[in-house]
Amino acid sequence: MTNDPLRLYGETFNSRFLLGTALYNSPQLMRDAITASGTDMVTLGLRRQNPEDKNGDAIWQYIKDSNTHLLPNTAGCKSVKEAVNTAEMSRELFETDWIKLEVIGDDYNLQPDPFKTLEATAELIKRGFKVLPYCTDDLILCQRLLDAGCQVLMPWGAPIGTGQGLLNRYALKTLRERLPNTPLIVDAGIGAPSQACEAMEMGFDAVLLNTAVARAQDPALMAGAFASAIDAGRKAYLSGLMLKRQTAAPSTPTIGQPFWHQN
Amino acid sequence: MSTPIVRKTVAKQDSIGIAGAGLLGRLLAWKLLIRGHNVSLFDAGHIEHSITTPSAAAGFTAAGMVAPLSEAVVSERAIYDIGLRSLELWPQWIAELEHKPSSESDFFFQRGSLAVSHPQDTAELQQFDTDLNHILGGSSGYQRLNGQQIQQLEPALSDSFQQGLYLEPEAHINNQQLLNRLLVDIQALGGKLYPNTPVQPSAKILQAKAQSHRFDLCIDCRGFGAKYSASREQPLRGVRGEALSVHTKEIQLQRPVRLMHPRYQLYIVPKPDNIFVLGATSIESEDMSPISLQSNLELSSALFTLNPAFAEARIVDMAVNLRPAFMDNMPRVEVEDGLIKANGLYRHGYLLAPVVVENILNTIEQNVDPFQSILQSQPTAETEHA
Repeated sequence: MTNDPLRLYGETFNSRFLLGTALYNSPQLMRDAITASGTDMVTLGLRRQNPEDKNGDAIWQYIKDSNTHLLPNTAGCKSVKEAVNTAEMSRELFETDWIKLEVIGDDYNLQPDPFKTLEATAELIKRGFKVLPYCTDDLILCQRLLDAGCQVLMPWGAPIGTGQGLLNRYALKTLRERLPNTPLIVDAGIGAPSQACEAMEMGFDAVLLNTAVARAQDPALMAGAFASAIDAGRKAYLSGLMLKRQTAAPSTPTIGQPFWHQN
Repeated sequence: MSTPIVRKTVAKQDSIGIAGAGLLGRLLAWKLLIRGHNVSLFDAGHIEHSITTPSAAAGFTAAGMVAPLSEAVVSERAIYDIGLRSLELWPQWIAELEHKPSSESDFFFQRGSLAVSHPQDTAELQQFDTDLNHILGGSSGYQRLNGQQIQQLEPALSDSFQQGLYLEPEAHINNQQLLNRLLVDIQALGGKLYPNTPVQPSAKILQAKAQSHRFDLCIDCRGFGAKYSASREQPLRGVRGEALSVHTKEIQLQRPVRLMHPRYQLYIVPKPDNIFVLGATSIESEDMSPISLQSNLELSSALFTLNPAFAEARIVDMAVNLRPAFMDNMPRVEVEDGLIKANGLYRHGYLLAPVVVENILNTIEQNVDPFQSILQSQPTAETEHA
């Protein structure tokens, strides 16, 4: 879909599928999935890898070799300070001022902390970062994040790793309608290609996921399935979905019936 | 019961130099000595393991499980097939040790393993079950258990576990004792030890700092130490693992127990003298710094939920080591003229080592090997070697 590129912070991406690099059984399987997904941007975390000493370099180099844009994340951070420090370290290590901001508020379901996310966003934007915040689907939070200077938002479909799909369609639909000019990426909770497709049909600009591909028995095959679904959903959105109707409307008029008996 | 052993009287007495005195190096040295070869075993660190001079080998840090079913879920089917062969070889080989323990069951226990999850994490256990089923092509080879059956197998487990899987073929090894015993046998059979001697293996030469050692054949059995000899096409990396050892007399376990959790899979393995090894984290980092508080918390709380009596257990060791792994996390045996390289056993040392050793022996003796296509699948690396 080269004539329908995704634009984020002034940059152009050829794929609307963003893929995470954690949880694969091996780096090789990860890279096979990246290739099969056709993705243009992968996320990676560094919080637990002792980044100051570059101890994760072997795997980072391997990810870099996949020739996609890198989107470092602050996964595992629970405070504003941790998130800002991790962002600074990743800017230095990966030479990018892009950051997927995650500030976790609940240890068990990894739910984002909206208040700290907003605070960290303001700080990071002040420091010159291009922030892509992982947030809930709350409209007011999303508006505040935009006020703070975000140009892209990443509302959740469901909590990380649950595969529950789009839990709150009403809230997601509201976001899409109320923020028509903001690139919105559904991040987290997507378990099946049909769910990703639905998000794209609703007009979201892209989908970011990890577990559903990484934990599949054949990650590369699943990555391809998601790529097709995301592509289908995007095309459906662009081409204009028909509205649901109460009554049946045969697409071919039934021959032999007087026209006044046809619908 | 065991295969006939070619004793020391074998005619051909090749000299063989082995780099790396971890599990693989020891097992191989011992087997080659039994076959009558002259074996020299080199290691960059200590070879004799004690508290004051610990061996750096990951085999000492490991929990020592031979778990082909559970490990296949986090790797691939080949790990299962290799593991089944290892389960045959281990008891045979332990019976061949000169300095046997009083009973061979002191080293090797085939009592199965148990996978459990807390009620709120049942989905993790179901996913594990589904993945296992997919890899094995069915559910023969393991059983689904209810709370009562779990209690019967392991009465010490908290009764909050209402669902579990019993992986009957799996085994565990008293790995530290075995590694020490192998060394005793290696020395008794005339093997020469070169501790604290880092070497660079090449065709028929192990190059130490001050001296080159010539052999008829060199075998590279190093773990993470092989990183800088690996090619750019097949890089070897380290994967950080952290493990706790605790001591308590209050709790008895017969077999390893795996706890399924949304973010990590932890296992506890019973060891002699009321010790339990709890492992292991898996972090894509070559960081050898001490265990982090977060990892410690995760490991400790997992242990605590298995049985609250673990709260009064004493932490006797907190180990950190690097698993040596290629990018597909599968082992490789590369054969060149005068040099065999066997590296990248990752987290499967005790599961893979006997089969890798068997493959090397078959290579040397030009026998057919059942796992040739898996272990030696890579294109020849001769061009890279120059």
